[in-house]
Amino acid sequence: MSFDVLFSQFMSGIARAALLFLVASGLSLTFGVLRVLNFAHGSLYMLGAFLSYSIWKFLLMPVLGFYLAAIIAALIMGAVGILIEYVLLRRLYARGWPEQLLATYAIVLIIMDLVKWAWGGEFLSIPRPKPFTGAVLLFGFPFPSYNFFVILLGLGLLVFLWWLIYKTRFGDIIRAAAHDREMVSALGIPIPWLFTWIFVLGAFIAGLSGAVTAPFGSVALGMDIEIIIECFAVVVIGGMGSLPGTLLGSFIVGEVYAFGIMLKPELAIAFIFMVMAVVLIIRPWGIFGRPER
Amino acid sequence: MVIKQTEQKESMLKRGWWLILLIIIFLIAPAFLSEFYLTVLCEALVMSLFALSFNLLFGYMGQLSFGQAAFYGLGGYTVAMLITKVQFNFWLSIIAGVLVASVIGLIVGFFCVRLRGIYFAVLTLAFGQLIFSVVFKWHDFTGGDDGIQGVFPPEFLKSPTNYYYFLLIVFLLSAFVLWKIIHSPFGQTIISMRENSERTEFLGIHIAKYQLITFVIAAAFAGLAGAIWVPFYRSVAPSYLTWIKSGEPVMAAILGGPGLFFGPVLGMFIMTFFHSWVLGFTIYWPVVMGALILAVIFFLPGGILGFIQEKVNERKEIRNRE
Repeated sequence: MSFDVLFSQFMSGIARAALLFLVASGLSLTFGVLRVLNFAHGSLYMLGAFLSYSIWKFLLMPVLGFYLAAIIAALIMGAVGILIEYVLLRRLYARGWPEQLLATYAIVLIIMDLVKWAWGGEFLSIPRPKPFTGAVLLFGFPFPSYNFFVILLGLGLLVFLWWLIYKTRFGDIIRAAAHDREMVSALGIPIPWLFTWIFVLGAFIAGLSGAVTAPFGSVALGMDIEIIIECFAVVVIGGMGSLPGTLLGSFIVGEVYAFGIMLKPELAIAFIFMVMAVVLIIRPWGIFGRPER
Repeated sequence: MVIKQTEQKESMLKRGWWLILLIIIFLIAPAFLSEFYLTVLCEALVMSLFALSFNLLFGYMGQLSFGQAAFYGLGGYTVAMLITKVQFNFWLSIIAGVLVASVIGLIVGFFCVRLRGIYFAVLTLAFGQLIFSVVFKWHDFTGGDDGIQGVFPPEFLKSPTNYYYFLLIVFLLSAFVLWKIIHSPFGQTIISMRENSERTEFLGIHIAKYQLITFVIAAAFAGLAGAIWVPFYRSVAPSYLTWIKSGEPVMAAILGGPGLFFGPVLGMFIMTFFHSWVLGFTIYWPVVMGALILAVIFFLPGGILGFIQEKVNERKEIRNRE
């Protein structure tokens, strides 16, 4: 196998990793602060994808349409996030994690049927937006330039989250709350307010990443569970609630998937679980995670 | 979720009369039911066994498995493939189904029992989806998307009524065995691990080993449920192994009450009959199920049987005070 083939496979792995990072970072952030594993994160992603498709169709703008649709869809998902957190999750923080997980599982079922009812079971897609319509030659291999857009977006989100978590006052509160919720509350910071905003941020990111997948041509029912399981693999490998962990986890899962597809397409997903199993045996709380207290 | 250990042998004996009454009702049920409702009743029995296997992990071991359908489906697929492809003996096929589910359960369990709580739930979900995707994509071997049709039981079990009695016997025997397991020293050890795993470990108990055995037992009974269902339904499909199927026993357990042995059975009966009724006018069953889950979580923590138990206990207390 020549170097160019490996390299182009590596690059498509990076693009996949970037997309996974977009989705998983929101999941990991929510879990890190709220300690709630949001099963419905993939559903918010799916709903974001379908919404962006409909908004794009409605806007009928050749260049800006896609970007505008993505932002509007993400904002709507943020609003849905407020609804979910405020109406449902808020009442369950005092309960055990099984109830919290089940409540988000119920949301998965509801959103699934909502999408089925509103959009039906077809595959939808948006053409690649300008200026990312063409392909770039990398070592003689055509590489879709839209992949670069996704990679850049992933990097942008990474920088933004890093800035938000490590460089702002809000980030100080986030990290403190992830560490010791009661103490932060005792300092007079309203925890419910923080939780709502974190959940909204997670939902916004999920909606945005859903919109970004639309040009890959994979907007369809079932994308919710497909992505959430890969995201679970990402956060379990990297460590739940850790930003560097999510980055590393996305990279590992993206690359393993890309090379797995090359070796044996049917088993690509199985390779991911093998890596996950190995990590879980050596470090059950993930590479960058911390053991549960 | 705090699950109270309320069952005791004495109360079981005291409640023995209603159990006998229930069994009599089940024995004469086919005489009063249309073929449609008899089919639904059969499904409820099989799914109840499936839910009992799940609740061994959830209600007693204290771990939420989101991949239990994989074992249910494996049992079903094993039977379907053995009967249609090599005309294997019906009874031996069912035993093979249980064995396959147990062996895969041993492999999956080996990894899963190292984890607790959310991590356990996520890993079981991941393994469940892994097994599903292998069955789904391995078209030459499993029939992929099409599933397998034409799985027939032996001649004397072809009538729904006869098969119903067969299912009833298997269900009662399995429930009895599971009841015995839970009330054996082994079962009490599992419960003590749920209540305080550190303390149990200090008593010299190898937690991972006990949890692995429990996981395999749960997989075996889930496999049995799948194995006895497929010849009745005459076919099997990949949807038997999906996360939605795995969610059904979870739902049944919280609806009926995971802290009580028959809680998941009650939950599954309500769900199965409700399902067949809802399907009469809408295909959107998942949204109904989602709403039902939320309703139970918010308004009926502890499930229906848990709620009844609580009321009974309250009344007893008042009587004792008087």
